[in-house]
Amino acid sequence: MKKTTIALLSTAVIFGLNGCGNDTPSSSAPKTYSKTPAEVYAQSCQKCHGEHAEGNPKKKGPALNDRQAGELELDLYDVKNGGTNQSSGTEHDIMEHNMQKLIEKGYDYDPKAMAEYIEKNFYKREVSETD
Amino acid sequence: MDNKIFKKGIEIIDAHIKGEGISRRDAIKLFGTGGAAMLLASGATTQASASSSAAKAKIVIIGGGLAGMSTAARFTNSLDNPDITVIEPGDFATSYQPGQTLVGAGIWDVSEVVYKTDDFVPDGVTIIKEKAVEFDPKNNMVKTSSGKTVKYDYMVIAAGLKLDYARIEGLGIEGTITSSGDHSPVSKVIGKNGIASIYFQKGSADTWTQMQKFIAEAKSGKKVKGIFTHPNTPIKCGGAPKKIMYLTDARLREAGARENAELTFYPNGSKMFGVKEYHDAIVNQFEARDMKWNYRHNLIAVDPVKKIATFNRHWKEKGEWDPDLEEYSIVPRSKKVEKEFDFIHITPPMIAPEEIANSPVGSGKGWVPVHKETLQHVKYPNVFALGDIAAVPMGKTGGSARKQYKVVVENIISMMEGKEPTAKYGGYTVCPLITSIGTVMLAEFDWSKKPTPSFPFDPTQERYIWWLLKVYALKPMTQYGMLSGRA
Repeated sequence: MKKTTIALLSTAVIFGLNGCGNDTPSSSAPKTYSKTPAEVYAQSCQKCHGEHAEGNPKKKGPALNDRQAGELELDLYDVKNGGTNQSSGTEHDIMEHNMQKLIEKGYDYDPKAMAEYIEKNFYKREVSETD
Repeated sequence: MDNKIFKKGIEIIDAHIKGEGISRRDAIKLFGTGGAAMLLASGATTQASASSSAAKAKIVIIGGGLAGMSTAARFTNSLDNPDITVIEPGDFATSYQPGQTLVGAGIWDVSEVVYKTDDFVPDGVTIIKEKAVEFDPKNNMVKTSSGKTVKYDYMVIAAGLKLDYARIEGLGIEGTITSSGDHSPVSKVIGKNGIASIYFQKGSADTWTQMQKFIAEAKSGKKVKGIFTHPNTPIKCGGAPKKIMYLTDARLREAGARENAELTFYPNGSKMFGVKEYHDAIVNQFEARDMKWNYRHNLIAVDPVKKIATFNRHWKEKGEWDPDLEEYSIVPRSKKVEKEFDFIHITPPMIAPEEIANSPVGSGKGWVPVHKETLQHVKYPNVFALGDIAAVPMGKTGGSARKQYKVVVENIISMMEGKEPTAKYGGYTVCPLITSIGTVMLAEFDWSKKPTPSFPFDPTQERYIWWLLKVYALKPMTQYGMLSGRA
């Protein structure tokens, strides 16, 4: 192998490793939403998940008041993105479909902000946690 | 450097070294020792920027794999008086898991990925070679398998995940295993009769044996079928189910037997990748190689004698009008379908370790629930989690852990100093997707679901230079850079 190639290659590798070591800035600007989480919840979510996120078995809408924001956010992320992995698929097949329709109707939200809204207003602590 | 010039330069290098060929010896020189030396040099700068803290606290780390041990090392580097205990029962927990794909395709020997835990315990760190079995976060206590109680001020959970082959019927497997622990419940059936899985060390070595038999059959003129699965759970290294398929394709071509083999990918999901740009690139790569795929198939059973895999094929149908949704509702449908195989690569369902999943620090799904930026537990402020066990989207790779462990250390030290934990993980992860012997697509991305390349050129291209990075540079970078808490 020619010396020049080695030199070039080394340069590329140094760039590469430094690149890996740096913090990579997110490539997209923060997204904005036309409705607040409170508005989206009141106008849409509550129809199937209940006024207080207690769930609605008739509509097969599960309760959302049994999880804290950090945990709920992962579910909302899964719903909105159709999964959190390359090819595992979503754990919310039906809601993923519904969510796409709801986004078309303007009921879009930031998963973090929505999770925090639901926890703040509806989260029910387990009995064992209150002692 | 001007981006345009740099980009052009890289393309020339890429084409040039590919054309000229680089010997293994030269590559090792450049990427092995050179890579490690450079890392240590760049590590020194990282080190200098993180000033040492005089704060004191007892820190317990659950798990001494890549995530846990790197965290321990960084604490040691960053505290004047570190008091760190790692609880890890595995003798080979710090093994180099990303190399198992290369072992599965016969590029590395399994001995090249096996590393002893003992060799990576940082100086001054106490190691308890037991399993943490009971968690009492209200009283800041964990109990180990021998009944020992360990108290802490801060706990870091980095216990990884378990491979749940038992969920697949017909294999006669009971219980879960880890990638580098006791594999006997699984290896008695997986690694034989054309059934392979690179997700545990022995399995990766056996995959190469089974793959060679499969290729020999194809070469003898027999029409053979290879199938590759991807389960309905989050998995570590989301790209590996595809990488091993690309490598099977490459080995068949090498043997001149590709036309006798039909290769099909059966993932539970309905896409190749969560990032559209990479999804599109992979679809093109599959088409170019005549690799087939069939979405929405979840492996539920394998008959190792008849060589039949049973999948739950699932889809959605239009239901009744839903006045609340103002749309037609959707009805889930599914049926069992059987596929014959000569060679099957199984990616097992993966779960959080049972004793943690079911404890107060676990969650409904098992993964430890954390705020995904700060990695702080949602219920217990002095508990943090990282690596495969953390409930973080897209996070189960060494590349994620490499970003996460620095965040955890910085946040805990801030809290020890009476400050708020403000360091944030941005969701960065990387999947060096091996697309043949000699090419890799370096898929870097974060929660924005956009490519976030570290280099100013097209990240959707397969390149020889990334193959060199994957095969020669990433291991020293991980084993010596990251496990010393520096890179």
